[in-house]
Amino acid sequence: MKKIQSLILILTISFFSIQCGSTKKDFTIWIGGSPEEVDFWASIVSQFNNQRGYNLKLIRQPTYTDQRRQGLVISLESKQPDPDLFLMDVVWINQFIRSGWLQPFTPYVTKSKFSTDIFFKGILNTVDKLNDTLYALPVFLDVGLFYYRKDLLEKFGFNNPPKTWDELVDQCKKITPAEKKNNLNFNGFDWQGAQYEGLVCDFLEFIASNGGGILQNGKINLDTPENLKALRFMHDLIYKYKISPPNTYTEMKEEEVRRAFQSGNAIFERNWSYAWKLHQSKDSPVRGKVGLTLLPHFIDHNSVSTLGGWHIGMSKYSDEKNEAWDFIQYVTSYKVQKQLLLKVGWNPGRKDIYSDSLLLKQIPRLKILYEAFKHTVARPTIPYYPQLSEVIQRYVNDCLANKIKPAYALKQMQNHINELEKFYAAK
Amino acid sequence: MQLNKIEFNKKEIRDAYLFNAPLILIALIFIFLPVIGTLITSFFRDVTFLPGKFIGLENYKRLIGDSHFWQSVEFTLIFVIVSVSLELFFGVIFALLLNETIPGRGFMRVAILIPWAIPVAISARVWQLIYNYDFGVFNYFVLKLGISNQPVSWLGTTAGAFFSIVISDVWKTTPFMTIIILAGLSTISNDLYKQAMIDGTNFLQRFFRITLPLLKPVLVVALLFRTIDAIRIFDLVYVLTGGGPGGSTTPLSLYAYDYLVSGDFGYGSAASVIVFLLAALLAILYIKFGQFKEVVK
Repeated sequence: MKKIQSLILILTISFFSIQCGSTKKDFTIWIGGSPEEVDFWASIVSQFNNQRGYNLKLIRQPTYTDQRRQGLVISLESKQPDPDLFLMDVVWINQFIRSGWLQPFTPYVTKSKFSTDIFFKGILNTVDKLNDTLYALPVFLDVGLFYYRKDLLEKFGFNNPPKTWDELVDQCKKITPAEKKNNLNFNGFDWQGAQYEGLVCDFLEFIASNGGGILQNGKINLDTPENLKALRFMHDLIYKYKISPPNTYTEMKEEEVRRAFQSGNAIFERNWSYAWKLHQSKDSPVRGKVGLTLLPHFIDHNSVSTLGGWHIGMSKYSDEKNEAWDFIQYVTSYKVQKQLLLKVGWNPGRKDIYSDSLLLKQIPRLKILYEAFKHTVARPTIPYYPQLSEVIQRYVNDCLANKIKPAYALKQMQNHINELEKFYAAK
Repeated sequence: MQLNKIEFNKKEIRDAYLFNAPLILIALIFIFLPVIGTLITSFFRDVTFLPGKFIGLENYKRLIGDSHFWQSVEFTLIFVIVSVSLELFFGVIFALLLNETIPGRGFMRVAILIPWAIPVAISARVWQLIYNYDFGVFNYFVLKLGISNQPVSWLGTTAGAFFSIVISDVWKTTPFMTIIILAGLSTISNDLYKQAMIDGTNFLQRFFRITLPLLKPVLVVALLFRTIDAIRIFDLVYVLTGGGPGGSTTPLSLYAYDYLVSGDFGYGSAASVIVFLLAALLAILYIKFGQFKEVVK
């Protein structure tokens, strides 16, 4: 009897201590995205809880990026203790830092002897740091990539995918008319031209692959000859060369582009890295026929990919910061980052995964990704980026819709942005 | 006018206020206070990454100087005029039809409500598929019937996107008009029509001399509701075109929303105030010129 009594006593005590422990370490992380994505995070969170005895809760956010930001902005602006942790699209980070919502990682990095060398230095410096203070860490990265139909290039006698935009036009001119005879919906090159954030990414790639840019030497300077040539080329793709379809500027977002390419309606595709896995799925008509490489560029310039991806941040108003930091370390650990790659096919934020020889053998495209990460361009890191993006989207889209001329579009954009700067860059 | 002259005793007045108190309280807390709050915010620089500061009418000045804002105002007003008049036109026709004793009337009265019952976001998504460039139903018919040998980019031109929105909106909200007008029609006594027929009038005469004047009170109410609703249009456009192409189909509420969610609460509030003022102005016009007082009587 005594044994049973003491057993019960021990059980009760341990039960209560667990209770106390878990209420103390109650914290939340907010993550949204596709159901597959959120399910993956749910499994990571439960692994973490089981291993460390924490009680981290995953709160599911909407699928759409804008709606995810909206939820975070409202909670953080009202200084709520939840969420403790969240994922941020790379373009939000600057606004979040400047709004004073993010907890600097510096004290935690020092305390836990965390090494930041495992990340791409250029990416940390341009997006995760402000004035040398670290506020966020990349969980997974994304870049714009160039997909092409190996079989079609071969059929028409091209040994290599186009390196420059001129080559792309030449190849399309040869292949498209012939293929169009059998398939009315066939087009040369599909990319994201609808009026949304993706358009800014594509626009940035076009202009940067001609040596242009949006933010140059700390100032927004859009009305340049390099940018003009690139924007004119985007316009020409639709109207002059007719190798991009007329719904480019109305409907073409990531998924529309992917579906068109995947159903065999295009030779070339600009898309994010996620498209690869879907193109290779069992019921995909282009399975095994797709090649992957860096985006073309203008003559005498280099390939450039817009940097995307999601970074983890900690709220300044969090009441469980030490525990939250534990999770950040967990998420950026080699083990979890590898799972990210193998289970959901995302590109880890950690650099060392890309040189893992075993993984490289299994997933040869890591080499191209690594190459692309070295040639990334970030969208302007300014706190009023949403407003800037809206202006760029509107004028570039107007230009692609053939309503305004490229030169006028850039001029108007610049005027508009000057007005924005006057208000938002003030103290 | 008789109403004003009736004397109420104090107890009756007090009871009336008491009975209305919960409603007034709810209206105060959930409508009046937020409106005042928005108005106050609109006079401030309330941006997440800048220190807050009173800037008077600066946000309104920026609004006036923004060509995109004027584009939104223009789109919103034209949309209201076109869609509400079409809804009125079809609403009256459907109501007249459904008011006749025809076989299957009960079923049709229910069936016509279906578009109204579907959530806007879902019907917008359905319409988006109908207008789709590659596999939409519209382009299927365009190609099959040989109207064109190229698919049409319905949402791709300013006019196309505009009418796509109008068609979806008319499809969706005409049932609302129909039901209200139908209710109005059923209050008109049949004897009036019989008398008029004895006098030898034709259908059009009866419609313009009897139906329309007697229907006017109901029409004013229906128009008032629909106009205010149309000025605030958001969800349909948000899903269908997202404001494109080139921002040409951005209603004012979407314009305000874009700024509110991106962290400029002051400017977004100023735009919201404009939406509120526009709706209020139109409501006042309706009440003034629609002889609303007689309607209430």
